[in-house]
Amino acid sequence: MTTQSTHETSNEAASVALAEIPPVGPSGTSLLGTTLGWLSPKRVSALYVLALIIVVFSIWAPNTFPRTATIQQVLNGNAVIGMAALSIIVPLSARVFDLSFAYTMSLTGVTAAHFVAARDWPLTAAVLAALCVALVVGLINAVVVVVLRVDSLIGTLATGSIIQAFITFVTNEIPITDAKLFGGFSDLGQKQVLGLVLPVWYMLILAVVLWFALERTALGRRIYATGFNTEAARLTNIKTRRIQFCSLLVSALIAGWAGISLAAVLGSGSPTAGTPYLLPAFAAAFLGATQITPGRFNARGALLGVITLGAGTTGLSLATAPAWSSNVFTGVVLITSLAVTTVQRKPRLQTSRWRARLGREREGRAR
Amino acid sequence: MRQGDSRHARKGNVPPEPEPVAAGLDTSVPVLSLRNVSKTFPGTQALKGIDLDVMAGEVHALVGQNGSGKSTLIKVLAGYHAPDPGSEAHFDGEEFQLGSRNAQGFAHIRFVHQDLGLVLEMNAMENLALSAGFVTGPSGIRWKRQRARTEAMVRRLGVDLDVRKPLVEATPVERTVVAIAAALTGWESGRGLLVLDEPTAVLPHTEVDRLLEIVRETRRLGASVLYVSHRLDEIFRIADRITVLRDGRLTATRDARELDAQSLAELMVGDRVDAAFRLGRPVVTGREPVLAVKDLAGETVESLSFEVAPGEILGIAGFAGSGSEEAAYLLAGVRPTRPGRGEVKVRGQEWAPAAERLRRAGFPLVPADRGGEAVIAEFSVDDNLTLRVLDRFRKRSPALSGRREAAFVAEWTAKLQIKVAGRAASITTLSGGNQQKVIMGRCLAADPEVLLLAEPTAGVDVGTRQAIYELIGRLADDGLAVVVTSTDTTDLLALCSRVLVLSNGVVTEELTGDGITEQSLLAAVEAGTP
Repeated sequence: MTTQSTHETSNEAASVALAEIPPVGPSGTSLLGTTLGWLSPKRVSALYVLALIIVVFSIWAPNTFPRTATIQQVLNGNAVIGMAALSIIVPLSARVFDLSFAYTMSLTGVTAAHFVAARDWPLTAAVLAALCVALVVGLINAVVVVVLRVDSLIGTLATGSIIQAFITFVTNEIPITDAKLFGGFSDLGQKQVLGLVLPVWYMLILAVVLWFALERTALGRRIYATGFNTEAARLTNIKTRRIQFCSLLVSALIAGWAGISLAAVLGSGSPTAGTPYLLPAFAAAFLGATQITPGRFNARGALLGVITLGAGTTGLSLATAPAWSSNVFTGVVLITSLAVTTVQRKPRLQTSRWRARLGREREGRAR
Repeated sequence: MRQGDSRHARKGNVPPEPEPVAAGLDTSVPVLSLRNVSKTFPGTQALKGIDLDVMAGEVHALVGQNGSGKSTLIKVLAGYHAPDPGSEAHFDGEEFQLGSRNAQGFAHIRFVHQDLGLVLEMNAMENLALSAGFVTGPSGIRWKRQRARTEAMVRRLGVDLDVRKPLVEATPVERTVVAIAAALTGWESGRGLLVLDEPTAVLPHTEVDRLLEIVRETRRLGASVLYVSHRLDEIFRIADRITVLRDGRLTATRDARELDAQSLAELMVGDRVDAAFRLGRPVVTGREPVLAVKDLAGETVESLSFEVAPGEILGIAGFAGSGSEEAAYLLAGVRPTRPGRGEVKVRGQEWAPAAERLRRAGFPLVPADRGGEAVIAEFSVDDNLTLRVLDRFRKRSPALSGRREAAFVAEWTAKLQIKVAGRAASITTLSGGNQQKVIMGRCLAADPEVLLLAEPTAGVDVGTRQAIYELIGRLADDGLAVVVTSTDTTDLLALCSRVLVLSNGVVTEELTGDGITEQSLLAAVEAGTP
């Protein structure tokens, strides 16, 4: 309660400052107020961590870190992680886990590479085919989780395992490499625009779309309502099951595109390309949920999370720190940020839920 | 069925018999004494200079409406909040630090919180051992001794209980006993204070007596009890003295014998309060019904038929399990796995199968469990209010218009007289009554022809209760048809001009107009019990 009160203080301080200034813009906040609110450490602590990272590594590795090339390296090197993180924030917002996205990434990369290399399909057709495969995976996930009501954490872990088995069955664990993959296909992941590879732009566009959809539309509000209190959302005429069903389709589609981009970056269809992305993506999504709109998975936060974690790991490698240090860094940042936000959070209305449970039991006995 | 608080309060106004107190206790000496305890949260002062004495061997009741500062005081006492500087506390004459669990005085103050803090999957023995420690030997836990010890502790409170049975299977009162026993462990002698926070909130009415007996037993063991409750009748039955909090101030500490339900309610609310509030709306006749239901059946409802007209407030009464709780949910068409059977006619349409028609009509429902089924705790007041009508705030683009949403919220918070701290305030900062108003606003915003209310005043304080009744009355005046299901007779008496009594899923009686009295209602409900 005490920490939460300090949280309120900062909000109130911001709104007091606002009261003096005539409201501008649709939400009744001024530009200055918005900026002040924006920079509150409660909302963008990762930005401060990022600043700290820049300072530390500029001192630690003065010859390699403080360069524009580093910015490029951070963005280019983490774009696929960013897309992967964005793929899971939609289901997570609706309180559905999708652990299969990493396997979907492998699957679509292999599929697209296969059609281009072995079947000589035109690029567009191969990409579309891969996305269709992703959609099928999403459909299977949705049926398992929403229709069969299997817990999403276990359900998508299971479908992921089956996807991996399927990939192994088809590829024999041999990566698909071919000269045909260079040129048009690899351009999808390697071509640079304004110094940044295309996946960075995919990530940014995707983030804007998801930000708009989740935070500016009625649909987004309903998705969050579903995630926070499914029963209340359902009783408010929100089609919660449909939302959860579709969220899994969306995550599979985005993961599918991320997988294709990854294969293009690598210039090959590797049967295990996606799996290393499972943890970093979740790390970025959860770190992101402590940012911008704390307590909610959100696109801007996820992006900030990816960049912060990416800057740290890039800095460590530029400073020639040992290889294990980047994983330590990711873990520490994640635990710290989540611990801080969990402390800030208000205790949930558990009492009443518990009471309801008791009430139901009582009812059962009475009958 | 839980009976109306008011009824008990009036009946329960019998001076408590003088209770035997443990020998050797000087009952004129305060065990706990608080001086000038204040607690300021940003924007509000939750406690303002509380001076409170709890005497040795007394049951001291702490009452007040939601938001009066009761729970803040308990939390300060429990060390969960640190009070403002200048607050003082003495235990048995010795000063101790409030807001710290490690303080010396804290060892003598034990708490049983509303949710009891038990692990229901474990049995009484294990639960007690969690706070008292296990009896161990070289071969691990010595279960035999552990069991004997647990049984002794539970029996001390005058209860026989199979201590090896998981608490899931125990009755609510048995669980409360285990929680009290756990709180009292290691407290064999000496003075102490047991704080009971709403101990009967989850107890069925019939078990309240047993709990009160246990509280008396605790006192006989030499402890003082600080008893926090909403239910005035219990307080009159158990308390020696009563302290009333209002708006963070201590309004009065009185001997229980000096007060009755009316005067206590006045102390709590501040103004004169009419415990027997009635809307007194005329019985509606000769209007075309807006909703007609024939042989509606669900899980517990077996056959429910009625018509409800615009401007009518129809009540559905019954014991738990009679079907009355389910009725509102069936009528809202929100039971997908067990949709209603039977037929339904909505005004201007033909008779049709109930499930499909009710689902499509989508009459808004104010659910019974506000925390679990209605409030989205992570959302602001605004977002909770607008959730049902989001499509109104956009035109051509899919983006929501913040301006339109703000205007809508301003209109409805004014209409419902919701007291909000700030626009983006989280809904959890509101009192239960104001949260309920937000949920009602959410439903009303959809401009329905029929409004369904389940337990409309559960967890709502006395003052707001009446405001909600009056609001429902005004809505009916404007032509809204309202169906209320409630296990609290107070609601039905205050609101309805017609009440259907359900028993075993079937309507057994219909009361109208002046025929709806406390006695007739209770008689009808009880007549239906097996």
